[in-house]
Amino acid sequence: MFLNCIEQLLRRKIVLTAVVATAVFLGFYWWGVSAASSIEFNPGNDSADPVMSMLGSADAALAAIITAGPLAATLITALMIVIGSTMLPEEIGQGRMSFWLSLPQSRLRVFLSTSLAPLAVSFALSLILFAGIFVITRIYFPFSPRSIPMVLISMLIWLASVWASVTLLSLIVKKVASMLITFFLAAVASMFGGVYEMMKMFPGDAPDALVTVTRVIMYVFPADRGYRGVIYGMIPKEAVITENLAFFGVTAAVPPAHLIYAAFWSIVLLGLGYWKFRSMDF
Amino acid sequence: MNKEPLVQVKKIFKSYQKVQALRDFSLIVKPGMIFSLLGPNGAGKTTLMKILLGIVKYDSGTVHIVNFPVSSPLSRKSVRYLPEYLTFPSWVTPKVLMRQLERIRHESSMHDFIQRCIELECVDLMNRSMGKMSRGQRQRVALSLVTTGQPKLVLLDEPSTGLDPGGRIMVRNLIKKLASNGSTILINSHLLGEVELVCDTAAFINKGRLIAEGGIDSLSRQTGLAFVETEKTAEMHEALENAGYSCRIEDKGVLVQLTDPSAFREFTRIVLKTGIIFSALTLKRESLEDVFLRIMEDSNLEDDIVS
Repeated sequence: MFLNCIEQLLRRKIVLTAVVATAVFLGFYWWGVSAASSIEFNPGNDSADPVMSMLGSADAALAAIITAGPLAATLITALMIVIGSTMLPEEIGQGRMSFWLSLPQSRLRVFLSTSLAPLAVSFALSLILFAGIFVITRIYFPFSPRSIPMVLISMLIWLASVWASVTLLSLIVKKVASMLITFFLAAVASMFGGVYEMMKMFPGDAPDALVTVTRVIMYVFPADRGYRGVIYGMIPKEAVITENLAFFGVTAAVPPAHLIYAAFWSIVLLGLGYWKFRSMDF
Repeated sequence: MNKEPLVQVKKIFKSYQKVQALRDFSLIVKPGMIFSLLGPNGAGKTTLMKILLGIVKYDSGTVHIVNFPVSSPLSRKSVRYLPEYLTFPSWVTPKVLMRQLERIRHESSMHDFIQRCIELECVDLMNRSMGKMSRGQRQRVALSLVTTGQPKLVLLDEPSTGLDPGGRIMVRNLIKKLASNGSTILINSHLLGEVELVCDTAAFINKGRLIAEGGIDSLSRQTGLAFVETEKTAEMHEALENAGYSCRIEDKGVLVQLTDPSAFREFTRIVLKTGIIFSALTLKRESLEDVFLRIMEDSNLEDDIVS
Protein backbone atom coordinates (compact mmCIF):
# COMPACT_ATOMS: atom_id res chain seq x y z
CA MET A 1 0.00 0.00 0.00
CA PHE A 2 2.85 2.39 0.90
CA LEU A 3 4.61 1.63 -2.39
CA ASN A 4 1.34 2.13 -4.26
CA CYS A 5 0.97 5.57 -2.69
CA ILE A 6 4.59 6.48 -3.48
CA GLU A 7 4.01 5.34 -7.08
CA GLN A 8 0.94 7.51 -7.26
CA LEU A 9 2.68 10.55 -5.77
CA LEU A 10 5.60 10.29 -8.17
CA ARG A 11 3.12 10.56 -11.06
CA ARG A 12 1.71 13.82 -9.77
CA LYS A 13 2.60 17.04 -11.57
CA ILE A 14 3.26 18.88 -8.31
CA VAL A 15 6.01 16.40 -7.40
CA LEU A 16 7.49 16.58 -10.89
CA THR A 17 7.40 20.39 -10.64
CA ALA A 18 9.18 20.25 -7.28
CA VAL A 19 11.87 17.96 -8.75
CA VAL A 20 12.41 20.39 -11.64
CA ALA A 21 12.41 23.35 -9.20
CA THR A 22 15.04 21.54 -7.10
CA ALA A 23 17.25 20.99 -10.14
CA VAL A 24 16.86 24.63 -11.23
CA PHE A 25 17.50 25.84 -7.68
CA LEU A 26 20.70 23.81 -7.40
CA GLY A 27 21.77 25.01 -10.87
CA PHE A 28 21.38 28.64 -9.83
CA TYR A 29 23.07 27.92 -6.51
CA TRP A 30 26.02 26.33 -8.29
CA TRP A 31 26.25 29.33 -10.59
CA GLY A 32 26.11 31.81 -7.71
CA VAL A 33 28.58 29.98 -5.46
CA SER A 34 31.06 29.40 -8.27
CA ALA A 35 30.91 33.12 -9.09
CA ALA A 36 31.44 34.03 -5.42
CA SER A 37 34.37 31.61 -5.14
CA SER A 38 36.67 34.14 -6.80
CA ILE A 39 36.79 36.07 -3.49
CA GLU A 40 40.25 35.92 -1.99
CA PHE A 41 40.52 35.39 1.73
CA ASN A 42 43.58 36.57 3.60
CA PRO A 43 43.11 35.65 7.20
CA GLY A 44 45.43 37.59 9.44
CA ASN A 45 46.31 40.16 6.79
CA ASP A 46 46.24 43.48 8.72
CA SER A 47 46.32 45.62 5.61
CA ALA A 48 42.88 44.41 4.47
CA ASP A 49 39.49 45.44 5.95
CA PRO A 50 39.71 44.44 9.68
CA VAL A 51 36.51 42.37 9.54
CA MET A 52 37.26 40.77 6.19
CA SER A 53 40.78 39.93 7.32
CA MET A 54 39.29 37.65 10.00
CA LEU A 55 37.15 35.61 7.61
CA GLY A 56 38.06 32.38 5.81
CA SER A 57 36.47 30.16 3.19
CA ALA A 58 34.42 28.45 5.93
CA ASP A 59 32.74 31.78 6.61
CA ALA A 60 31.89 32.13 2.93
CA ALA A 61 30.42 28.61 3.09
CA LEU A 62 28.40 29.66 6.14
CA ALA A 63 27.07 32.71 4.30
CA ALA A 64 26.15 30.60 1.27
CA ILE A 65 24.35 27.98 3.37
CA ILE A 66 22.36 30.39 5.48
CA THR A 67 21.33 32.27 2.34
CA ALA A 68 20.22 29.16 0.45
CA GLY A 69 18.70 27.38 3.47
CA PRO A 70 15.46 29.42 3.84
CA LEU A 71 14.80 29.26 0.08
CA ALA A 72 15.26 25.50 0.04
CA ALA A 73 13.13 25.19 3.16
CA THR A 74 10.32 27.19 1.54
CA LEU A 75 10.30 24.89 -1.50
CA ILE A 76 10.22 21.73 0.59
CA THR A 77 7.65 23.10 3.04
CA ALA A 78 5.40 24.09 0.14
CA LEU A 79 5.68 20.65 -1.44
CA MET A 80 5.07 18.95 1.89
CA ILE A 81 1.97 21.03 2.57
CA VAL A 82 0.48 20.61 -0.90
CA ILE A 83 0.93 16.84 -1.19
CA GLY A 84 0.27 16.24 2.49
CA SER A 85 -3.01 18.12 2.37
CA THR A 86 -4.30 16.34 -0.73
CA MET A 87 -3.26 12.71 -0.28
CA LEU A 88 -5.95 11.52 2.14
CA PRO A 89 -8.75 13.88 0.97
CA GLU A 90 -8.24 12.79 -2.64
CA GLU A 91 -8.33 9.09 -1.85
CA ILE A 92 -11.51 9.67 0.16
CA GLY A 93 -13.14 12.02 -2.37
CA GLN A 94 -12.49 9.79 -5.38
CA GLY A 95 -14.06 6.78 -3.65
CA ARG A 96 -10.77 4.90 -3.52
CA MET A 97 -10.52 4.90 0.26
CA SER A 98 -13.53 2.58 0.60
CA PHE A 99 -11.91 0.32 -1.98
CA TRP A 100 -8.56 0.26 -0.12
CA LEU A 101 -10.36 -0.40 3.16
CA SER A 102 -12.28 -3.30 1.61
CA LEU A 103 -8.97 -5.10 1.12
CA PRO A 104 -7.54 -7.32 3.87
CA GLN A 105 -5.57 -4.60 5.65
CA SER A 106 -6.14 -2.68 8.86
CA ARG A 107 -7.23 0.94 9.02
CA LEU A 108 -3.96 1.82 10.74
CA ARG A 109 -1.99 0.35 7.84
CA VAL A 110 -4.08 2.20 5.26
CA PHE A 111 -3.76 5.46 7.22
CA LEU A 112 -0.01 5.19 7.74
CA SER A 113 0.71 4.03 4.19
CA THR A 114 -1.34 6.81 2.65
CA SER A 115 -0.14 9.58 4.92
CA LEU A 116 3.52 8.50 5.17
CA ALA A 117 4.01 8.63 1.40
CA PRO A 118 4.04 12.47 1.25
CA LEU A 119 6.55 12.54 4.14
CA ALA A 120 8.81 10.04 2.37
CA VAL A 121 8.71 11.93 -0.94
CA SER A 122 9.32 15.29 0.73
CA PHE A 123 12.15 13.86 2.84
CA ALA A 124 13.81 12.36 -0.24
CA LEU A 125 13.59 15.63 -2.14
CA SER A 126 14.79 17.56 0.90
CA LEU A 127 17.80 15.25 1.17
CA ILE A 128 18.63 15.83 -2.49
CA LEU A 129 18.26 19.59 -2.12
CA PHE A 130 20.28 20.02 1.06
CA ALA A 131 22.88 17.46 -0.02
CA GLY A 132 23.21 19.44 -3.26
CA ILE A 133 23.69 22.69 -1.33
CA PHE A 134 26.23 20.99 0.93
CA VAL A 135 28.24 19.42 -1.90
CA ILE A 136 28.25 22.51 -4.12
CA THR A 137 29.33 24.72 -1.21
CA ARG A 138 32.11 22.32 -0.22
CA ILE A 139 33.47 22.20 -3.74
CA TYR A 140 34.12 25.94 -3.78
CA PHE A 141 34.57 26.65 -0.06
CA PRO A 142 36.02 23.58 1.65
CA PHE A 143 34.70 23.09 5.20
CA SER A 144 33.73 20.42 7.73
CA PRO A 145 30.08 20.30 8.78
CA ARG A 146 29.21 20.39 12.46
CA SER A 147 27.10 17.24 12.46
CA ILE A 148 25.63 15.26 9.56
CA PRO A 149 23.53 13.01 11.87
CA MET A 150 22.09 16.21 13.35
CA VAL A 151 21.12 17.32 9.84
CA LEU A 152 19.33 14.05 9.10
CA ILE A 153 17.51 13.81 12.42
CA SER A 154 16.50 17.46 12.41
CA MET A 155 15.32 17.25 8.82
CA LEU A 156 13.07 14.34 9.65
CA ILE A 157 11.68 16.16 12.69
CA TRP A 158 11.18 19.40 10.77
CA LEU A 159 9.27 17.69 7.96
CA ALA A 160 7.38 15.41 10.34
CA SER A 161 6.10 18.45 12.24
CA VAL A 162 4.73 20.03 9.06
CA TRP A 163 3.43 16.67 7.82
CA ALA A 164 1.64 15.69 11.02
CA SER A 165 -0.02 19.08 11.19
CA VAL A 166 -1.21 19.15 7.58
CA THR A 167 -2.34 15.50 7.71
CA LEU A 168 -4.49 16.11 10.78
CA LEU A 169 -5.89 19.36 9.39
CA SER A 170 -6.72 17.76 6.03
CA LEU A 171 -9.03 15.35 7.88
CA ILE A 172 -10.78 18.11 9.78
CA VAL A 173 -11.11 21.01 7.34
CA LYS A 174 -11.16 21.38 3.54
CA LYS A 175 -7.83 20.77 1.86
CA VAL A 176 -7.30 24.41 0.82
CA ALA A 177 -7.97 25.53 4.38
CA SER A 178 -5.54 22.92 5.73
CA MET A 179 -2.87 24.20 3.32
CA LEU A 180 -3.39 27.83 4.27
CA ILE A 181 -3.43 27.16 8.01
CA THR A 182 -0.22 25.10 7.83
CA PHE A 183 1.49 27.69 5.62
CA PHE A 184 0.51 30.38 8.10
CA LEU A 185 1.73 28.35 11.07
CA ALA A 186 5.02 27.54 9.29
CA ALA A 187 5.61 31.19 8.46
CA VAL A 188 4.77 32.43 11.95
CA ALA A 189 6.89 29.69 13.54
CA SER A 190 9.84 30.62 11.33
CA MET A 191 9.54 34.30 12.22
CA PHE A 192 9.20 33.69 15.95
CA GLY A 193 11.99 31.13 15.78
CA GLY A 194 14.22 34.03 14.74
CA VAL A 195 12.75 36.25 17.46
CA TYR A 196 13.54 33.52 20.00
CA GLU A 197 17.18 33.45 18.91
CA MET A 198 17.38 37.23 19.14
CA MET A 199 15.93 37.14 22.61
CA LYS A 200 18.64 34.66 23.57
CA MET A 201 21.22 37.13 22.26
CA PHE A 202 19.80 39.98 24.32
CA PRO A 203 18.34 38.38 27.42
CA GLY A 204 16.18 40.62 29.57
CA ASP A 205 15.48 43.18 26.85
CA ALA A 206 12.41 41.49 25.34
CA PRO A 207 8.93 42.49 26.55
CA ASP A 208 7.22 39.79 28.60
CA ALA A 209 4.32 39.55 26.14
CA LEU A 210 6.71 38.84 23.27
CA VAL A 211 8.49 36.17 25.30
CA THR A 212 5.15 34.52 26.05
CA VAL A 213 3.93 34.66 22.43
CA THR A 214 7.22 33.28 21.16
CA ARG A 215 7.14 30.37 23.60
CA VAL A 216 3.51 29.58 22.84
CA ILE A 217 4.19 29.52 19.12
CA MET A 218 7.22 27.28 19.62
CA TYR A 219 5.01 24.84 21.53
CA VAL A 220 2.08 25.05 19.13
CA PHE A 221 4.09 24.55 15.95
CA PRO A 222 7.67 23.39 16.63
CA ALA A 223 8.68 22.81 12.98
CA ASP A 224 11.14 25.73 13.03
CA ARG A 225 13.26 23.95 15.65
CA GLY A 226 13.90 21.10 13.23
CA TYR A 227 14.78 23.40 10.38
CA ARG A 228 17.29 25.29 12.54
CA GLY A 229 18.78 21.93 13.51
CA VAL A 230 19.35 21.17 9.81
CA ILE A 231 21.19 24.42 9.27
CA TYR A 232 23.17 24.06 12.52
CA GLY A 233 24.33 20.58 11.52
CA MET A 234 25.38 21.71 8.05
CA ILE A 235 27.34 24.87 8.78
CA PRO A 236 31.17 24.84 9.02
CA LYS A 237 32.92 24.10 12.29
CA GLU A 238 35.78 26.35 11.26
CA ALA A 239 33.70 29.49 10.69
CA VAL A 240 34.99 32.56 12.52
CA ILE A 241 31.44 33.92 12.79
CA THR A 242 30.23 32.27 15.94
CA GLU A 243 26.86 31.27 17.22
CA ASN A 244 24.23 33.98 17.57
CA LEU A 245 26.22 36.47 15.56
CA ALA A 246 24.75 35.38 12.28
CA PHE A 247 21.50 36.79 10.98
CA PHE A 248 18.58 35.79 13.23
CA GLY A 249 20.74 33.33 15.05
CA VAL A 250 20.42 30.61 12.43
CA THR A 251 23.83 29.29 13.41
CA ALA A 252 22.80 28.73 17.00
CA ALA A 253 22.59 25.21 18.40
CA VAL A 254 19.14 23.73 18.96
CA PRO A 255 18.74 22.16 22.39
CA PRO A 256 17.97 18.41 22.06
CA ALA A 257 14.88 18.91 24.24
CA HIS A 258 13.39 21.15 21.56
CA LEU A 259 13.88 18.47 18.92
CA ILE A 260 12.51 15.75 21.20
CA TYR A 261 9.47 17.90 21.90
CA ALA A 262 8.91 18.48 18.16
CA ALA A 263 9.14 14.73 17.51
CA PHE A 264 6.74 13.97 20.36
CA TRP A 265 4.36 16.69 19.14
CA SER A 266 4.37 15.16 15.62
CA ILE A 267 3.53 11.73 17.01
CA VAL A 268 0.68 13.17 19.08
CA LEU A 269 -0.76 15.00 16.07
CA LEU A 270 -0.44 11.89 13.93
CA GLY A 271 -2.19 9.92 16.67
CA LEU A 272 -5.02 12.47 16.65
CA GLY A 273 -5.17 12.17 12.87
CA TYR A 274 -5.50 8.40 13.11
CA TRP A 275 -8.13 8.73 15.84
CA LYS A 276 -10.16 10.94 13.50
CA PHE A 277 -9.57 8.61 10.50
CA ARG A 278 -10.54 5.55 12.53
CA SER A 279 -13.92 6.97 13.39
CA MET A 280 -14.71 8.09 9.84
CA ASP A 281 -17.25 6.42 7.57
CA PHE A 282 -16.34 6.23 3.88
CA MET B 1 -20.76 -27.57 0.61
CA ASN B 2 -20.39 -25.92 4.01
CA LYS B 3 -23.73 -24.28 4.81
CA GLU B 4 -22.51 -22.24 7.78
CA PRO B 5 -23.69 -18.64 7.26
CA LEU B 6 -21.16 -16.60 5.37
CA VAL B 7 -22.64 -13.27 6.42
CA GLN B 8 -24.22 -12.86 9.85
CA VAL B 9 -25.73 -9.53 10.75
CA LYS B 10 -27.42 -9.36 14.15
CA LYS B 11 -29.54 -6.48 15.37
CA ILE B 12 -27.41 -3.66 14.08
CA PHE B 13 -28.21 0.00 14.41
CA LYS B 14 -26.49 2.75 12.49
CA SER B 15 -27.24 6.45 12.43
CA TYR B 16 -25.65 9.40 10.66
CA GLN B 17 -26.19 12.26 13.08
CA LYS B 18 -30.02 12.53 13.16
CA VAL B 19 -30.71 10.08 10.32
CA GLN B 20 -31.30 6.46 11.31
CA ALA B 21 -29.72 4.52 8.42
CA LEU B 22 -30.27 1.00 9.80
CA ARG B 23 -32.62 -0.07 12.59
CA ASP B 24 -32.58 -3.41 14.37
CA PHE B 25 -31.32 -5.01 11.19
CA SER B 26 -30.53 -8.73 11.01
CA LEU B 27 -29.59 -10.78 7.99
CA ILE B 28 -28.05 -14.14 7.20
CA VAL B 29 -26.51 -15.01 3.85
CA LYS B 30 -25.51 -18.61 3.19
CA PRO B 31 -22.73 -19.74 0.85
CA GLY B 32 -23.53 -20.03 -2.85
CA MET B 33 -26.43 -17.56 -2.79
CA ILE B 34 -26.87 -14.80 -5.34
CA PHE B 35 -28.41 -12.33 -2.95
CA SER B 36 -29.86 -8.98 -3.83
CA LEU B 37 -30.43 -5.97 -1.59
CA LEU B 38 -33.45 -4.05 -2.82
CA GLY B 39 -34.96 -0.83 -1.65
CA PRO B 40 -35.57 2.79 -2.58
CA ASN B 41 -32.79 5.42 -2.53
CA GLY B 42 -31.60 6.07 1.01
CA ALA B 43 -33.05 2.81 2.32
CA GLY B 44 -29.68 1.78 3.82
CA LYS B 45 -28.46 -0.76 1.23
CA THR B 46 -25.05 0.80 0.56
CA THR B 47 -24.60 1.48 4.28
CA LEU B 48 -25.21 -2.20 4.98
CA MET B 49 -22.75 -3.24 2.28
CA LYS B 50 -20.10 -0.90 3.69
CA ILE B 51 -20.74 -2.15 7.22
CA LEU B 52 -20.04 -5.69 5.97
CA LEU B 53 -16.65 -4.44 4.78
CA GLY B 54 -15.80 -2.46 7.90
CA ILE B 55 -15.79 0.75 5.87
CA VAL B 56 -18.70 2.18 7.83
CA LYS B 57 -18.88 1.75 11.62
CA TYR B 58 -22.14 0.63 13.17
CA ASP B 59 -23.50 1.83 16.49
CA SER B 60 -24.56 -1.49 18.02
CA GLY B 61 -25.12 -5.14 17.14
CA THR B 62 -22.72 -7.70 15.66
CA VAL B 63 -21.54 -8.40 12.14
CA HIS B 64 -19.49 -11.43 11.12
CA ILE B 65 -18.12 -12.43 7.74
CA VAL B 66 -16.75 -15.96 7.42
CA ASN B 67 -16.88 -16.17 11.23
CA PHE B 68 -14.64 -13.14 11.69
CA PRO B 69 -15.94 -9.84 13.11
CA VAL B 70 -15.86 -7.16 10.42
CA SER B 71 -13.43 -5.12 12.51
CA SER B 72 -10.78 -7.72 11.68
CA PRO B 73 -8.93 -7.51 8.33
CA LEU B 74 -9.21 -11.34 8.25
CA SER B 75 -12.93 -10.96 7.50
CA ARG B 76 -11.97 -9.37 4.18
CA LYS B 77 -9.34 -11.94 3.20
CA SER B 78 -11.56 -13.62 0.63
CA VAL B 79 -14.03 -10.81 0.07
CA ARG B 80 -14.10 -8.59 -3.02
CA TYR B 81 -15.94 -5.30 -3.33
CA LEU B 82 -16.92 -3.12 -6.25
CA PRO B 83 -18.08 0.31 -5.03
CA GLU B 84 -20.71 2.24 -6.96
CA TYR B 85 -18.40 5.20 -7.49
CA LEU B 86 -14.76 4.34 -7.98
CA THR B 87 -12.38 6.63 -9.83
CA PHE B 88 -8.89 5.32 -10.38
CA PRO B 89 -6.05 7.79 -11.03
CA SER B 90 -6.04 8.73 -14.71
CA TRP B 91 -2.45 7.51 -15.31
CA VAL B 92 -2.92 4.03 -13.94
CA THR B 93 -3.36 1.05 -16.28
CA PRO B 94 -5.26 -2.17 -15.43
CA LYS B 95 -1.95 -4.04 -15.29
CA VAL B 96 -0.47 -1.56 -12.78
CA LEU B 97 -3.67 -1.70 -10.72
CA MET B 98 -3.55 -5.47 -10.56
CA ARG B 99 0.10 -5.33 -9.50
CA GLN B 100 -0.83 -2.88 -6.74
CA LEU B 101 -3.60 -5.18 -5.55
CA GLU B 102 -1.23 -8.16 -5.62
CA ARG B 103 1.11 -6.25 -3.30
CA ILE B 104 -1.69 -5.65 -0.82
CA ARG B 105 -3.20 -9.12 -1.01
CA HIS B 106 0.22 -10.84 -1.03
CA GLU B 107 -0.89 -13.13 -3.84
CA SER B 108 -0.20 -13.55 -7.52
CA SER B 109 -3.36 -13.04 -9.56
CA MET B 110 -2.18 -11.57 -12.85
CA HIS B 111 -2.92 -14.73 -14.85
CA ASP B 112 -6.46 -14.98 -13.42
CA PHE B 113 -6.96 -11.29 -14.06
CA ILE B 114 -6.01 -11.61 -17.72
CA GLN B 115 -8.42 -14.54 -18.06
CA ARG B 116 -11.21 -12.48 -16.50
CA CYS B 117 -10.41 -9.55 -18.82
CA ILE B 118 -10.70 -11.93 -21.79
CA GLU B 119 -14.08 -13.04 -20.45
CA LEU B 120 -15.32 -9.45 -20.05
CA GLU B 121 -13.79 -8.43 -23.39
CA CYS B 122 -11.43 -5.82 -21.98
CA VAL B 123 -8.09 -7.58 -22.37
CA ASP B 124 -7.04 -5.12 -25.07
CA LEU B 125 -7.23 -2.36 -22.42
CA MET B 126 -4.56 -3.93 -20.19
CA ASN B 127 -1.95 -1.27 -20.97
CA ARG B 128 -4.26 1.66 -21.53
CA SER B 129 -4.45 4.35 -18.87
CA MET B 130 -7.79 4.67 -17.06
CA GLY B 131 -8.04 8.31 -18.14
CA LYS B 132 -8.31 7.19 -21.76
CA MET B 133 -11.15 4.72 -21.19
CA SER B 134 -14.90 5.17 -21.45
CA ARG B 135 -17.07 4.67 -18.35
CA GLY B 136 -18.18 1.26 -19.56
CA GLN B 137 -14.60 0.16 -20.23
CA ARG B 138 -13.53 1.25 -16.75
CA GLN B 139 -16.45 -0.68 -15.27
CA ARG B 140 -15.43 -3.85 -17.13
CA VAL B 141 -11.85 -3.47 -15.86
CA ALA B 142 -13.07 -2.83 -12.32
CA LEU B 143 -15.31 -5.91 -12.46
CA SER B 144 -12.39 -7.99 -13.71
CA LEU B 145 -10.22 -6.70 -10.86
CA VAL B 146 -12.67 -7.48 -8.11
CA THR B 147 -13.75 -10.89 -9.37
CA THR B 148 -10.25 -12.26 -9.97
CA GLY B 149 -9.33 -15.38 -8.00
CA GLN B 150 -11.70 -17.52 -5.96
CA PRO B 151 -13.42 -15.08 -3.62
CA LYS B 152 -15.85 -16.45 -1.04
CA LEU B 153 -17.95 -13.32 -1.06
CA VAL B 154 -18.33 -10.71 -3.80
CA LEU B 155 -20.15 -7.47 -3.02
CA LEU B 156 -21.24 -5.56 -6.10
CA ASP B 157 -22.75 -2.10 -5.78
CA GLU B 158 -24.57 -1.29 -9.03
CA PRO B 159 -22.33 -3.57 -11.14
CA SER B 160 -24.07 -2.77 -14.44
CA THR B 161 -23.49 0.98 -14.21
CA GLY B 162 -22.32 2.38 -17.54
CA LEU B 163 -22.48 -0.95 -19.35
CA ASP B 164 -24.14 -1.51 -22.72
CA PRO B 165 -26.65 -4.40 -23.14
CA GLY B 166 -23.83 -6.75 -24.22
CA GLY B 167 -21.85 -5.79 -21.14
CA ARG B 168 -24.85 -6.44 -18.89
CA ILE B 169 -25.28 -9.92 -20.31
CA MET B 170 -21.56 -10.55 -19.65
CA VAL B 171 -21.98 -9.38 -16.05
CA ARG B 172 -24.97 -11.69 -15.58
CA ASN B 173 -23.02 -14.62 -16.97
CA LEU B 174 -20.03 -13.72 -14.80
CA ILE B 175 -22.17 -13.60 -11.65
CA LYS B 176 -23.71 -16.99 -12.44
CA LYS B 177 -20.25 -18.44 -13.12
CA LEU B 178 -18.84 -17.09 -9.86
CA ALA B 179 -21.78 -18.58 -7.96
CA SER B 180 -21.39 -21.94 -9.70
CA ASN B 181 -17.72 -21.89 -8.62
CA GLY B 182 -18.79 -21.49 -4.99
CA SER B 183 -18.72 -17.72 -4.50
CA THR B 184 -21.56 -15.94 -2.74
CA ILE B 185 -22.70 -12.78 -4.47
CA LEU B 186 -24.34 -9.83 -2.79
CA ILE B 187 -25.73 -7.31 -5.27
CA ASN B 188 -27.06 -3.85 -4.71
CA SER B 189 -28.83 -2.67 -7.84
CA HIS B 190 -31.79 -0.61 -8.94
CA LEU B 191 -32.06 -2.52 -12.21
CA LEU B 192 -34.74 -4.95 -11.07
CA GLY B 193 -34.90 -6.63 -14.47
CA GLU B 194 -31.20 -7.52 -14.17
CA VAL B 195 -31.62 -8.67 -10.58
CA GLU B 196 -34.59 -10.87 -11.47
CA LEU B 197 -32.58 -12.61 -14.16
CA VAL B 198 -29.62 -13.43 -11.96
CA CYS B 199 -30.51 -13.47 -8.24
CA ASP B 200 -32.15 -16.31 -6.35
CA THR B 201 -32.74 -14.49 -3.05
CA ALA B 202 -33.61 -10.91 -2.16
CA ALA B 203 -33.86 -8.74 0.92
CA PHE B 204 -36.13 -5.70 0.77
CA ILE B 205 -35.00 -2.74 2.84
CA ASN B 206 -36.99 0.38 3.57
CA LYS B 207 -36.07 3.22 5.92
CA GLY B 208 -33.27 1.15 7.41
CA ARG B 209 -35.43 -1.88 8.23
CA LEU B 210 -35.53 -5.32 6.69
CA ILE B 211 -39.15 -5.64 5.56
CA ALA B 212 -39.08 -8.86 3.55
CA GLU B 213 -36.56 -11.54 2.69
CA GLY B 214 -36.63 -14.82 0.80
CA GLY B 215 -36.41 -16.56 -2.54
CA ILE B 216 -37.54 -14.40 -5.40
CA ASP B 217 -40.05 -17.05 -6.52
CA SER B 218 -41.57 -17.32 -3.07
CA LEU B 219 -41.88 -13.54 -2.74
CA SER B 220 -43.75 -13.10 -6.01
CA ARG B 221 -47.48 -13.77 -5.85
CA GLN B 222 -49.82 -15.13 -8.47
CA THR B 223 -51.48 -12.15 -10.08
CA GLY B 224 -54.92 -13.33 -11.21
CA LEU B 225 -53.84 -12.82 -14.80
CA ALA B 226 -53.87 -15.82 -17.14
CA PHE B 227 -52.22 -16.04 -20.51
CA VAL B 228 -53.44 -18.30 -23.29
CA GLU B 229 -50.76 -18.84 -25.89
CA THR B 230 -52.37 -19.43 -29.27
CA GLU B 231 -52.01 -18.53 -32.91
CA LYS B 232 -55.77 -17.99 -33.19
CA THR B 233 -55.83 -14.91 -31.00
CA ALA B 234 -58.94 -13.28 -32.48
CA GLU B 235 -61.12 -16.42 -32.12
CA MET B 236 -59.88 -17.08 -28.59
CA HIS B 237 -60.47 -13.44 -27.60
CA GLU B 238 -64.01 -13.54 -28.91
CA ALA B 239 -64.80 -16.91 -27.28
CA LEU B 240 -63.51 -15.81 -23.88
CA GLU B 241 -65.34 -12.49 -24.00
CA ASN B 242 -68.52 -14.36 -24.82
CA ALA B 243 -67.81 -16.52 -21.74
CA GLY B 244 -67.81 -13.32 -19.65
CA TYR B 245 -64.05 -12.75 -19.20
CA SER B 246 -62.31 -9.42 -19.52
CA CYS B 247 -59.37 -9.98 -21.86
CA ARG B 248 -57.09 -8.39 -24.44
CA ILE B 249 -55.08 -9.65 -27.39
CA GLU B 250 -51.31 -9.65 -26.89
CA ASP B 251 -48.43 -10.84 -29.00
CA LYS B 252 -48.89 -14.63 -29.52
CA GLY B 253 -51.85 -14.94 -27.19
CA VAL B 254 -54.61 -13.53 -25.06
CA LEU B 255 -54.25 -12.05 -21.56
CA VAL B 256 -57.23 -12.72 -19.32
CA GLN B 257 -58.21 -11.13 -16.00
CA LEU B 258 -59.55 -13.73 -13.56
CA THR B 259 -61.55 -12.86 -10.50
CA ASP B 260 -58.77 -14.40 -8.39
CA PRO B 261 -56.02 -17.03 -8.87
CA SER B 262 -58.28 -19.80 -7.52
CA ALA B 263 -60.58 -19.34 -10.53
CA PHE B 264 -57.84 -20.75 -12.77
CA ARG B 265 -59.21 -24.32 -12.69
CA GLU B 266 -62.63 -23.16 -13.92
CA PHE B 267 -60.94 -20.96 -16.52
CA THR B 268 -58.94 -23.95 -17.85
CA ARG B 269 -62.20 -25.84 -18.33
CA ILE B 270 -63.72 -22.91 -20.30
CA VAL B 271 -60.63 -22.64 -22.55
CA LEU B 272 -60.77 -26.36 -23.33
CA LYS B 273 -64.47 -26.03 -24.02
CA THR B 274 -63.87 -23.37 -26.73
CA GLY B 275 -62.20 -26.06 -28.86
CA ILE B 276 -59.65 -23.56 -30.12
CA ILE B 277 -56.13 -24.96 -30.35
CA PHE B 278 -53.72 -23.37 -27.86
CA SER B 279 -50.08 -24.21 -27.03
CA ALA B 280 -49.86 -23.04 -23.37
CA LEU B 281 -52.03 -21.81 -20.55
CA THR B 282 -50.26 -20.09 -17.66
CA LEU B 283 -51.18 -18.18 -14.56
CA LYS B 284 -48.98 -15.09 -14.45
CA ARG B 285 -46.88 -14.24 -11.41
CA GLU B 286 -45.70 -10.82 -10.25
CA SER B 287 -42.49 -9.51 -11.74
CA LEU B 288 -39.78 -8.44 -9.28
CA GLU B 289 -40.77 -4.86 -10.00
CA ASP B 290 -44.38 -5.65 -8.99
CA VAL B 291 -43.11 -7.38 -5.84
CA PHE B 292 -40.89 -4.40 -5.04
CA LEU B 293 -43.69 -1.87 -5.46
CA ARG B 294 -46.16 -3.98 -3.44
CA ILE B 295 -43.75 -4.58 -0.56
CA MET B 296 -42.67 -0.94 -0.42
CA GLU B 297 -46.29 0.26 -0.51
CA ASP B 298 -47.24 -2.12 2.32
CA SER B 299 -44.23 -1.00 4.34
CA ASN B 300 -45.01 2.70 3.91
CA LEU B 301 -48.65 2.08 4.81
CA GLU B 302 -47.59 0.22 7.94
CA ASP B 303 -45.30 3.10 8.91
CA ASP B 304 -48.14 5.58 8.41
CA ILE B 305 -50.44 3.55 10.65
CA VAL B 306 -47.77 3.25 13.36
CA SER B 307 -46.98 6.97 13.24
